[in-house]
Amino acid sequence: MEWTEENGLLLIPLGLGWLAVWLLMPSERKRPRILGGLAGLAAILIMQMMLLPPAGDLVRNALFFLFAAGSVISAALMITDRNPVYSALWFALVTLSVCGLFLLNSAPFLAAATIIVYAGAIIVTFLFVIMLAQQSGTIGNYDQQPLQPAMASLGAFILLGALLFTLQEWGHIGGPDASQHAMPGQFITVPVELQPNPLSQHPPDNPHEIGSLRVLGRSLFGDYLFAVELAGTVLLIATIGAIAIAPRRSQGTL
Amino acid sequence: MLEQIINWFPEWARPFIMPMLTIAIVLQVNLGVCSYLILLERKLSAWMQDRIGPNRVGPWGLLQPLADMLKLLMKEDVIPGHVNKFLYVLAPGISVFTTMLAFAVVPFGPVPSNLSATDGQFPYIIAPGIDLGMVFIFAVGSLAVYGIILGGWASNNKYSALGAMRASAQVVSYEIPLGMSVIGLALLTGSMSIEKILLHQANAGIWGWNIWFQPLACVIFFAAAMAEAQRLPFDLSECEQELVGGWHTEYSGMKWALFFLGEYTHVITISFLTSILFFGGWHFPGIAESDSNYLGSTLVKMLVLMTKSFAFIVVIQMLRWTIPRFRFDQLMGLAWKVLIPLATLNVVCVMIVKQFHLNVWWLLPMSALLCLGAGLIGTQAKRPFLRRATPPVDKPHGHHAPAHAH
Repeated sequence: MEWTEENGLLLIPLGLGWLAVWLLMPSERKRPRILGGLAGLAAILIMQMMLLPPAGDLVRNALFFLFAAGSVISAALMITDRNPVYSALWFALVTLSVCGLFLLNSAPFLAAATIIVYAGAIIVTFLFVIMLAQQSGTIGNYDQQPLQPAMASLGAFILLGALLFTLQEWGHIGGPDASQHAMPGQFITVPVELQPNPLSQHPPDNPHEIGSLRVLGRSLFGDYLFAVELAGTVLLIATIGAIAIAPRRSQGTL
Repeated sequence: MLEQIINWFPEWARPFIMPMLTIAIVLQVNLGVCSYLILLERKLSAWMQDRIGPNRVGPWGLLQPLADMLKLLMKEDVIPGHVNKFLYVLAPGISVFTTMLAFAVVPFGPVPSNLSATDGQFPYIIAPGIDLGMVFIFAVGSLAVYGIILGGWASNNKYSALGAMRASAQVVSYEIPLGMSVIGLALLTGSMSIEKILLHQANAGIWGWNIWFQPLACVIFFAAAMAEAQRLPFDLSECEQELVGGWHTEYSGMKWALFFLGEYTHVITISFLTSILFFGGWHFPGIAESDSNYLGSTLVKMLVLMTKSFAFIVVIQMLRWTIPRFRFDQLMGLAWKVLIPLATLNVVCVMIVKQFHLNVWWLLPMSALLCLGAGLIGTQAKRPFLRRATPPVDKPHGHHAPAHAH
């Protein structure tokens, strides 16, 4: 019974969020979209109350909530927008907001790299949308409605619940900041104090250097060399495969 | 003097004064310079084509930019009925915003080494001390194409859409050589920060300019950056002969002008970057060394940097009437088959020099060799790597094929 007392609160925002996404999804029948929007806002507000307040200064907190709310709301709109082109644009906003969060947490390179990678990727998505999606006015509306809206969003929210539950467990252990012990139903705070990676073989000498290019490079090519090389090899194999599959000039295309 | 002015303000506002002042100055100078660069481009075009060019408004046509500006401002603000209004209005804004944002990390004078926001020193850069420098510029630059593709798509016009498609493919391809070309510089300097790359060259003197060690990277950077800015010979996306006006076909008045303000700001940024990254920035032997400290030396350094950048702007404008526009497959071929392999090999050369502690001057013959090799491969009649486009032969298919072979 103690478990439900501690974690039952978690079900409220999750359920509300699921209801919101399901109501907002495009469908043939008229669904009360305003109700969906209200449910979504309620879910976000309850979730915000369950987070411990981040212990930064005013500007930092304001920016954190701006980027966090921006990414969550844009993500919901990306899934529920009727027009695939707008979905691609909402995806761009999600990426930008998440990059803002990276910047707040002293990871400027990660933010810049994410923008470089995803900006190009979203442009390609945009091209695919223009090429493949049915434009309005054509027969049928297969692109305009989801196939399994209820089940798909339920699955996604179960995953989200599992993630939040794990975070909550971490908060109970104490997390990065043991002084602010989480109350039942509350989650860990957003870490403000920067700490060097405890697993690193070459921790930075200067605490100001955390998150800088130099330290990041040392970490990537020192501590995580095997993972980096493995990822590089996988990408190389994919590139070679793409070239091998592509038709030759002598075969008449390209 | 500036420090006293700053001290008039309340405590909390002081850190914002200098950045605000810098932004205001950069913005105003940029707007003025852009309009006169357009006049210069028109005059240069006229000169190269044996015409006179604009000469009616003011002496030698010097007031022409003002007349143009008035015309653009007074024009009716047309929004065609068939467009997606929100994105149609948003697109020029994105175009200007992103290109201006990229200029934030470009130093336009000697950046003081001990800079703090409140001691009244003029910073000569909008956002000092950004460790990422180049990476930031690439990140912002990759967002700039959204202005074009959104404008093209929102216009709901086939010409615009085709222009936007071409632009997106072009920008996504040319980002790769652009980023690869400066990796060599980062390896040589040990930093991605533009200020640090500049200081490194200024301390080393004229024989420490990066152009001596990375001439190939300089050419690749310049070409790829021009392609990113959609300047001729890479302006496939607005190609007047095929696409009317490309992605800006449906735009007019001030919204159209904003697109071109963005393009010109991009050109200015490229010129500044090329002169800073490869030609020593504000350093010039004799008059602007890193230890020259005479009265007005800061101004001289700034003028040196401006002169270098101006020279590159003129080069970009003259290239416009020198090299004809590429065909689309040539454009993609140039990026994927020439620039990217060359940039990769260039990085490998720098790595070899750094790894075996060779003299940096080995990089000059290495770059020349790479250039020569690429030229040889490119001009050979029987190309080993680039297969010629042969018209598809009607070959018999399936199991009949071997019978015909004999």
